[in-house]
Order: sequence, then C-alpha cells, then structure tokens
Amino acid sequence: MDELIYTLKQQIIEALNLEDMKPEDIDENATLFGEGLGLDSIDALELIVMMEKNYGIKLQDPTQGKEIFKSVAVMADFIAKNRTK
Amino acid sequence: MTKPILITGTGVVSAIGCGKEQTLDALLNNRTGVGPLVYLKTEHKEFPVGEVKMSDYEMRKYLNINNDTITTRTALMGMIALDEALKEAKITSEMLPNVGFISGTTVGGMDMSEQFYLDYVNNDNHKEYIAVHDCGSCSEMTAKHFGKFAFITTLSTACSSAANAIILGANMIRRGEADIVVVGGSECITKFHLNGFNSLMILDTQWCRPFDATRAGLNLGEGAAYLVLESEESAKKRGVKAQAILSSYGNACDAFHQTASSPDGEGAFRAMKEALELADIQPDKIDYINAHGTGTPNNDLSESQAVKRLFGDNVPPMSSTKQFTGHTTSASGSIEAVFCILALQNGFLPVNLNWSQPMDDGIVPVHQAVKKELKHILCNAFGFGGNDSSLLISKDMRHETTRHETEGQESHVTGPEVSRPLFVLSAKQISVQQPLSEDWMTQPIEYQTPFNRSIDPSFKEYIPPIEARRMGKILKRAIATSKEAIKASGLESVDAIITGTGYGCIENTEFFLESLSKEGEQMLSPTYFMQSTHNTISSLVAIQTKNHGYNVTYAHKGISFDSALQDAVLQMRLGKINSALVGGHDELTPTFYQILKKGGMMGLDDEMCGESAVSVVLGSKSDNYLCKLVNFKMLHKPTMEQLKAVAADFKADHILTGISGNHKSDVAYLEECKELFSGAKLLKYKHLFGESFTSSGIGFYVAAQCLKAGRIPAHLFVNPQETIDNKPSNILIFNHSDGDNYSLTLLEA
Repeated sequence: MDELIYTLKQQIIEALNLEDMKPEDIDENATLFGEGLGLDSIDALELIVMMEKNYGIKLQDPTQGKEIFKSVAVMADFIAKNRTK
Repeated sequence: MTKPILITGTGVVSAIGCGKEQTLDALLNNRTGVGPLVYLKTEHKEFPVGEVKMSDYEMRKYLNINNDTITTRTALMGMIALDEALKEAKITSEMLPNVGFISGTTVGGMDMSEQFYLDYVNNDNHKEYIAVHDCGSCSEMTAKHFGKFAFITTLSTACSSAANAIILGANMIRRGEADIVVVGGSECITKFHLNGFNSLMILDTQWCRPFDATRAGLNLGEGAAYLVLESEESAKKRGVKAQAILSSYGNACDAFHQTASSPDGEGAFRAMKEALELADIQPDKIDYINAHGTGTPNNDLSESQAVKRLFGDNVPPMSSTKQFTGHTTSASGSIEAVFCILALQNGFLPVNLNWSQPMDDGIVPVHQAVKKELKHILCNAFGFGGNDSSLLISKDMRHETTRHETEGQESHVTGPEVSRPLFVLSAKQISVQQPLSEDWMTQPIEYQTPFNRSIDPSFKEYIPPIEARRMGKILKRAIATSKEAIKASGLESVDAIITGTGYGCIENTEFFLESLSKEGEQMLSPTYFMQSTHNTISSLVAIQTKNHGYNVTYAHKGISFDSALQDAVLQMRLGKINSALVGGHDELTPTFYQILKKGGMMGLDDEMCGESAVSVVLGSKSDNYLCKLVNFKMLHKPTMEQLKAVAADFKADHILTGISGNHKSDVAYLEECKELFSGAKLLKYKHLFGESFTSSGIGFYVAAQCLKAGRIPAHLFVNPQETIDNKPSNILIFNHSDGDNYSLTLLEA
C-alpha cells in the first residue's frame, strides 16, 4: 500500500501540474480539496482521467469523486479494491 | 430622440428544421430534433445530439456549391441561415457593400482540423484546409457566398457568441455607424467539443431535461441563425417591415469560474438587469423568458437563482428550448432569438419538453402548450468563463401611441454625437522584446531566426501558483499585461474587458487535437479543452481582476485586436462605458508555426514570427495619459477610392505600417501608403516584434509609447534618412490583414 500511495502522489503531481511539490510534501491523510491542497472541480475531473488511464477505473458520475478523492489514502484504498490494471 | 432597432429579416437552421416554416411547425407541435448521432464520425454513439439533418454534401447541393470549393460545416449552415435572412429583409448582393456582417463562432473550421490534424503536422495532404481553421475565416467564407459586405468581424465568447454579435450590431446602429447589420452565429458539432464536454462530464446520455430534478447534463446540438438589424429610417426608406424590435440587451461577466456558473448567478442577474434598465422596462412587463437552460445541474440552478433575484416571486413564464435542438453552443443566442420572434409573431410559449419533476430551488418551467399574446421576451445566452448576455425582444408596437404600450422600445442612448478624443491611459506588452518594458526603444533585441517565442517575466507576482499551474503561457501573459496596464492607468478598475485573439490558446488546442488524433476519443484532459475556447483569456482576466463588466472576445484573423478596439471606442462614444481594457493576445507553438507556414498563413519570405500580448487601457477622461485616440475605422475589401475617402480623415505625419518581410504584402503596403498618405514618414515595427495575428496591438502599443516619449527611435523608420524629425505630434497605425481587412487608428500626442 505504501508503494501505491507514493506512486499515486507522483501521478497526482503530474496530472494536476503541481510543479513545486514533491510526493513528500503531500500528507496522505490530509484533505485534497478545499482547505488541503486547494484543488477544485477541474482537478477532480483530471483525477478521474488519471485513474482511468493508470488503473482502468471508470467513474460515470463526477459526484462519486467527492468520497473517493477525500485524501490520498482513501484514493489508494479505492484504487487497490477496484483497479483493473 | 429614440432609435429603435428593427429586426427586418431572420433565418435559421437547426435540428428541428431548415428555415422558419419547419422550425415553427416543430416548436408548435413539440417535435424534438434530438436523437441518435448520424452525421458526426465519432466513437461516442452513447450521446444523443441535435444534428442538422443534412450531410455536408447535401448542404453543398442545397446551396449550389461545387465540390471543389473549400467549405466547413459551420460555414455551410451559416450560408443556409444567412440566405433566408437576407431574402426576407429583401437585401440583394448589390446592397451588401453597405451592410455589415457580424458572426459568432468558436468551433470555426475545427471539423476539418480534427480530421486532418496529423496530415497538417506530417505531410502536405489537405493543407488547403489550414487557412480555414480559424473563426474569422469561417465568417468570411459564409459572407463571400453572397457578395462583399461593408465590414465583417467575429465574436467568440463560447455559448454566448451569437448573442454578443447581436449586441455589437445593435450598438453600431444606435451610434449611427451602420444602417443595416446582419448578426448571429453558426456552429457545427465537432468531435473536438463533444469530447471536450464529455471530459467535463456534463453530457447526458439521455434526452436532456432542463430545470428537472433529474437533469444530468446537456445534449449537444448544431445550427445557425442570423438576424437583419436595421435602423428605422433605413427600413422606412426600403419599405421593409419589422418582424420584431430589439429593445435592449445586457452583457456582464460572472467572473467566477472558467466552466461553472456562480451559485447566485451574478453574471446572468446583471445581464438581465442591464437589459431591463436600458429599455426602462419594469420586470412585470416581461411575458416570457427563453432560458439558457442547458440541462446541467450547475447552469439551471444558477440561472434559476438569477431569475428569482431579479423577478422575486413573480418569475415570468420561462422555458428552455434546448430539448428541441440540443445546445447549439455559439449559435444558440441567435437561434433562440429567432424562436422568440416566432413566439411573438404567433402568440405561443415554447414548451420546456421532457420535464416532470421540479428541482430544489429551481423555477417551474412552461411544461404545457400555452397560447398567449406576447409583447416582451428576454432571451438568455451564457458562455464558459461567465460571458453572460441577455436580449430583450419585443413586438413591433410603434403604431400604438400610448406611452404604456411603447414602453421598452425607446433607447436612452441618442444618435451620433461629435467624436471627442479618447485617452490611451496605459499600454503594456510581453513579446519577443524585453517584457513589460520599453527597452526596445533604446536596446532592441534583433532576431535572425524566423520564429521566436516571447520572453516571459516571472508570473508569480501576478498569479498565485495554485491558479497558474493550469494556465497556458498566453493566459499568464494576458493576466500580467492586464494587471500592469490597469495599475499604470491610475484607475481602480475598468468598465469593460474586450479582447482580441486570432487563434486563442493554441498550445492547449494543439495538446487536445494531438491526444484526440493519436490516443483516440477516451480520457482526454478537461484542462486542455476548457482553455481551447478563445474567450478563456478575457474571462480569466475578469476572474483575476474581479470584474463583472462588459466582457467579449473577438477572433477575426489579423483584425482581432482592431475589432476589440472598435467595440471599446463604440461603447465609449455611446456613453455606455467610461473605460476599457483592450487586449490583443496570440501565442504560437513550433508545431503550429510549421502548420501555419504550410498553409501559407505566416512565415513567408523574410517574415519573422513572434508571439504577442498587449493590454491597453482607454479612458474618457484623464490628466495623465500616453496619447489621445482621435479616430478609428475598419474596412472590408475597400476599393482605392473608398480608402482615399477614409484616409482624408486620418491625416498624419507618421504612418506605422505592418510591413513584415512578406514581400508581396510589403509591396502592396508601401504602394498604398504612397498613394494614400504622400509626404508622411513611414514606420515599421514587425522587424522587432515579429508577425502574429494580434500584432496590430503591438503596433498600437509602439505608437502610443513613441508619442508619450516624444520621439521615434531611428530603427523604426522604413527610410533611415528620415530619422531627423523628433517630437512626433501624431501617428497613424495603418493595418491590413491578407489585403482584405483594413484598420486605421489615429493617435495624437
């Protein structure tokens, strides 16, 4: 799981163009949206694309993202359970 | 004195029919044109769409255009609608040199670019389509089918483009600058924006349900519609009747988010309120609102809030017609304006089809057929980036004499006034010269390479990093120059933000086209798509400067900046605004440079190509300014006689030309200058700043800074022997684009 979390952080940085950040800067338990990293609805859509590309997970409803993208840890857990690649 | 704007002809084509007869029949009989995808070649068969029920081939046949002529679907639909509008208004091709044409589109020739993109990059196949990628080409292609118009320009504010074209035309008539202007928009469905809207997850896989609790997104549509706007005197002289009256209009910016509307519908509220105020009409006089009503959860809630704020508990009957046509994006403003005119003429309320459950906090739309006499209708069109517009269309009641009945048809803006100078308060640039500085006057950077990218400053002090990370370079440059220009103007804020761009955010467009062509129609980035619309620049500047004022974008080839300037001057002279931020922004990537070169669009002979971002602030009053703007004029394919007549009003000691190293165009430039402005000293700037679609903005900046400095650097003179003269009193910026479109801007110290 730790490896997945680290890879995931790298993928989030790339997908969201968080140029000045390193994986170590992201607390996997901190909230990604709102107060945490300050991400918005377009970032959520980019994360949906990223999950489909890298893990073969297809979300049909953008509002599902709200639960899944709570934190990196929650995301990693969801990916581990649902990945198809 | 009142100046009603008459609508003397209309034409429309959409999924519910070709022409007004079929359209009216469908509207009265609740017959939708939305259904399974037939004509567009895409993998996304799951999305219902509102296609015009003709292939490109059938449209060509209908229009009698042979198969060798280069066309795009957007232009073909435009021609179908324009033909009907001109015929109804009894406008013949001989009259066109006195008629203006203003069209709205965002897609332009993307239907061809998305098919041939890899050819453009890799070989010479289909290279003849490169020149019709941009929005302006599309308008010109549409117009050319009928003859030569007096002037042409293109509005590109995403889904409110056509509505804003209508507003510009109306302002030109109010100001007495034209008697007849044909206005509207056209847009075909493309794989590009079908996939783009899909990446934003706002497409419904079922028939859309605006204002319904279960609404889950929009269906894309396509079509075109044009309205002939005419002054009362002209219509009387020609003996043509008004179909309806354009009583007023409003334009405001939501300044909230690039793809979402604010929860309280601020932009929409302001646009509708402005329309009511300009017509001096009470909210209870509105008989019907044709909603933007796309069917996305966000739009319908936001629009409901805006309407409730304005009308309180007495919201007029309201419906969306997007279930009939799908969302016809850039064309929706004029297509739905035609629906409103049909409703006025035939006394009925279009039904909000496919509605059953009221949404929380939403309006309850018209869901059953209602026959009713209508006098005043509001027609809404909102675009990405919060470019919100509202039109007030009224029944022609000029023969009815009581004040009560004619309410709403009197404009509070009077006719032409004496032109007073406007002040250029500030001008800032980022280009291939030192950014945000006037170092080029004393230490110009000289380039030997044919294509050069901008020298960028650090953007950190202008844009917070979290917001900057998704922005393409063109957006950062636009924001930085805008903020610097506003600061230097001494104003706290500007009344309007008006932007010109030939190609918009071409880098993100390129990324999106490339992934679409190479990786297919899956998993495309929403960021690339949302930045590919031309109005992203203007709306982001509004978001960054928290500006809710008038906000539009022009995308018409080499006169994009000039068109923006024209609008600013027009509105300042109408007294609608006292200041404006006018921008001209274009970027160029190595790939697009090669493509445009292949298409013969730039980089010919010794031409150096660059990128440019220019922001200027105009004000009507100032004691501290760079120079005065004393006269401005745009012309489309003028004859030498027409040019000579205009040049007489633009006498100047110095002419800033756009000679660029393109031999053919330079020779034409210099010969025209000799004939038009004999004795004046000729200047150049593109050898330093390069050629770009909005380089006339750089020309404006250069002239303004020279007048402020009280000297013209030696390296700007075409003839080096002429450099003795100092303290220039005036400079005429003489711009022409492809030998077709001309602009003259006279600046004075």
